[in-house]
Amino acid sequence: MELIELYIQEVTRRLPEKNREDIALELHSTIEDMLPENYTEQDVKGVLSKLGDPATLASGYRDRPMHLIGPRYYDVYISLLKMILPIAAVISLIALLGDDLFSNIGEKTVIEVVIIIIGKGIAGIISTGIQVFFWLTLLFAVLERTDTSKDSLPLTIGLKRWTPDDLKHIPNISKKKAVPKIEVFGSLLGISIFAALYFNAANLLGVYEKSNDGLTFVTPSFNQEVLNSYWPLIFCIIILGAFLAIYKLLAGQWTRKLAWFHAGYQLLTTITFIIIISNPNLLTHEFIAYMSKLFSTLEWHGSIYWGLILLTIFFAAHDSFQGFRKAKIR
Amino acid sequence: MSTLLNSLTTELRRGTLTLAVLSQLKSPQYGYSLVQRLEKSGIPIDQSTLYPLLRRLEKQELVTSSWDTSESRPRKYYSLSDYGDEIFNQLKQEWEKTSQELYILLKGEEEDGAD
Repeated sequence: MELIELYIQEVTRRLPEKNREDIALELHSTIEDMLPENYTEQDVKGVLSKLGDPATLASGYRDRPMHLIGPRYYDVYISLLKMILPIAAVISLIALLGDDLFSNIGEKTVIEVVIIIIGKGIAGIISTGIQVFFWLTLLFAVLERTDTSKDSLPLTIGLKRWTPDDLKHIPNISKKKAVPKIEVFGSLLGISIFAALYFNAANLLGVYEKSNDGLTFVTPSFNQEVLNSYWPLIFCIIILGAFLAIYKLLAGQWTRKLAWFHAGYQLLTTITFIIIISNPNLLTHEFIAYMSKLFSTLEWHGSIYWGLILLTIFFAAHDSFQGFRKAKIR
Repeated sequence: MSTLLNSLTTELRRGTLTLAVLSQLKSPQYGYSLVQRLEKSGIPIDQSTLYPLLRRLEKQELVTSSWDTSESRPRKYYSLSDYGDEIFNQLKQEWEKTSQELYILLKGEEEDGAD
């Protein structure tokens, strides 16, 4: 007797209030119908095991689904997730960029700063990722439960039924042309690190010497005032770089337009690099003095200067060319 | 029986369950009497599927229900509504057509195999 009551309770507590009494009464009479006269506990157990898990029985009575997101919405849900997650990741990296420009670096070494920024970037991506995942899942779980239409066919991304015309909207991206998402994240993270190093160069970049408590910063290589005087150019590079990354993400593949944009950006960075490196006051006197002590003559200065410029031009040209080459692939 | 065959068989039968239940509701039946009738005709039925199914049919207005409290224990009786009867007849025709077609199809396959 006790077992029957408990079983019915287990079923009805999972049901909406208004149906509970009626279903309980019906279940009660059904179970008694199934039992022989003068039944034992063993008989009751037999009957209850025939009715099965109360949760399953209750879900049969309930109209609501026993899954979070069903086949009708699953595909839309996954596609949206795949679309939004990278965008959210990029936004969180851009937020990091803004954070860097105004952050106080304090007494940290270059490696520490780079590790901190990469760590912040990854943490940002993960936490926005979790947020996006949570809210999108919640949205679809609600949609699944409020959709009253009898239609159970899966929906496409536009929340409509599939038609052959949908095929026309699918971009046909070959692997060779595609811009890998990791490249987009990598360049954003790279811009972020660059910005942090550039505007804190006096504290970070320079000569380190081994001492008892690890590395100590002896003298900075660059004049921070000289670097800071180029801020409009650097801001242009940072902002355009972020735009280029977003454009790459949205385009998903190399096109002629993207290749031109990319080449233009390479040109801008190369010119900026040459302008800055050509400034005679770029390096601090202390740094030059320190270097002269090490290498005795000053000849190294000129050859390194031209070497760096040639290398930069070479890499920029190579990179731009790769963009055009990939855009040409059919 | 292998589990795959088992699940395929269950799937094959699932759709016919509504038809089987509707066919037995020309006269009022309560839950357990329906189970017994179906089992007597050789149709095994999962009881945890049947009782919710009856309620769903009622919600879809194919069957009506009423409580009978005249006996020692109250029972809920289900019977076909007019609309249910209409749907049942159409569904029956569909089934007869389908089973006929399938019969011919399987028969043909058998003859092909004999060649």
